[in-house]
Amino acid sequence: MNQRLLSTTRQPRSSEPSSTSDRQTHFGFETVTESVKRERVAEVFTSVAESYDKMNDLMSLGVHRLWKDYFVSSLNPGATNPPGMPQRILDVAGGTGDIAFRMLQHAHVNNGNPNVHVTISDINPAMLAVGRQRSLALPASHQSSLSFLEANAEVLPSSLEDNSLDLYTVAFGIRNFSNMPAALKEAYRVLKPGGVFACMEFSKVDKYPLFNAIYKQWSFSAIPLIGQLVAGDRDSYQYLVESIERFPSQTEFRDMIADAGFAIVGKGYEDLTGGVAAIHKGIKPL
Amino acid sequence: MASPCVARTARCLSASARRPLARQTTTTAAASSTPASSSSLRATNNSSSSSSSNKRAYHSHEHPPSPPFGPVDRDILAAAYKHVPEHGFSLRAIGLGARDAGYPDISASVLPDGQFSLIRYHLVAQRERLAARSREVLLKDEAPLSAAGVGEKVAALTWERLMGNKDVIHRWQEALAVMAQPSYLPKSLAELAALSDDIWFLAGDKAVDPSWYTKRAALSMVYSSSELFMTNDRSPNFLETRQFLHRRLGEVQSVGSTLGSVGQWVGFTLNAGVNVLRSKGVPI
Repeated sequence: MNQRLLSTTRQPRSSEPSSTSDRQTHFGFETVTESVKRERVAEVFTSVAESYDKMNDLMSLGVHRLWKDYFVSSLNPGATNPPGMPQRILDVAGGTGDIAFRMLQHAHVNNGNPNVHVTISDINPAMLAVGRQRSLALPASHQSSLSFLEANAEVLPSSLEDNSLDLYTVAFGIRNFSNMPAALKEAYRVLKPGGVFACMEFSKVDKYPLFNAIYKQWSFSAIPLIGQLVAGDRDSYQYLVESIERFPSQTEFRDMIADAGFAIVGKGYEDLTGGVAAIHKGIKPL
Repeated sequence: MASPCVARTARCLSASARRPLARQTTTTAAASSTPASSSSLRATNNSSSSSSSNKRAYHSHEHPPSPPFGPVDRDILAAAYKHVPEHGFSLRAIGLGARDAGYPDISASVLPDGQFSLIRYHLVAQRERLAARSREVLLKDEAPLSAAGVGEKVAALTWERLMGNKDVIHRWQEALAVMAQPSYLPKSLAELAALSDDIWFLAGDKAVDPSWYTKRAALSMVYSSSELFMTNDRSPNFLETRQFLHRRLGEVQSVGSTLGSVGQWVGFTLNAGVNVLRSKGVPI
């Protein structure tokens, strides 16, 4: 399951996803079976997709836009030598297209490279529908470099061949995967040698205890309330903050990326806003 | 060194003093191991290195610092470094280097500090080269420097390090501007401190008094001002830079000896004054 706004489990499991539907998993701080979780996710999600962007702005006080801009410019898609070489990018759990549209803008306009192609992948058709709708406002050249894929990130379809992608991004999605190691393995499979795995996700603010206290207060009191008032759905946003709480720390997640086979450069992650979010990067060795 | 206490401190410090050659060997060992194994090793090393070795103001034989670059970034940066004379310490040089090293263009984005990574590579590589060549540098001069004073060895090593900038000197002003940016300044200063520490260690300085600090501070100042002078030096073989360096080192020495003499005079006068007062019956 890689819908946004959902909690995660990191239990080891067999490679066949449907065989685990009776297994216990976490839904926020609750424990449910994976099949129950899927049903609840689908319900929750349809109601959330419409108000998703408005809610992001309210919950992060608009800062998520700065994070996303920084994330994309730090990856610098489309900057090739010689200029104009093709690049293939997969944006996983990118339903509403926030990251993908910025990638296209950066590559096509800032770097003048029209040969960059972005595939938006999401498991949830409701989120993809929002992304499709929003993509109609893009320039035609951007639309032609964009494709949509409904897929489970833990078992990507065989149409995504081994060693075929330059860049795999997942922004605020990976904590919702029920099996993160499997998703990381899939990322490793589809990336070219030297390809980059980049992940932006909520993380830990343990370095700054005072700020952490304020942030926790905001997460657990204000966000569910905003969800109730604006989206009319307190429970989904309660799950959101609980799933953030469950996500591993910066160094633990860095080690998970290394365990999937990626090489880590430097310390392997970069904190944003003191660690509220963090960007992790890994490179597939040659 | 008269008191046993001071002598013990001296032994202890000289045993744990910086050993750049040891660092060199650990770096190459890590670079030559396979990427898969070293990446997982590095994942565990990194956390400890950032917490422990960065806090140590000197290097120790027992705790060699972890290598500053992993295999992937070392490959990319080493290839990018060849493009610096033409393209400067720029993202373009890194992009070209990544391509030369066989990586796709996107891989340049994993370097955490962008163009500063390339500048830091230059600083680290030149510092390691100086450590590897130090014996040669100290022997090659016509006057046998092994018998000469520490001051002359320091001058020879500093000059050798300045010559390491020769190929990129026309790009060095840009690099200094990047190094002075607030987010990179701490790392730049740490590299400068490591360089002065290396030079004093290689010159065989064993002092453990407070001059340990003043020597390093003074050499850092002399080195960075000479480097700045060198960026505008058009004389053959950087003759004027060499003269500038020796003038600055001379000033540091004369200031140091002047301060020492003043201190000696003040101490003597105070002591004599106290004795005069005592002879007059003042109970001090």
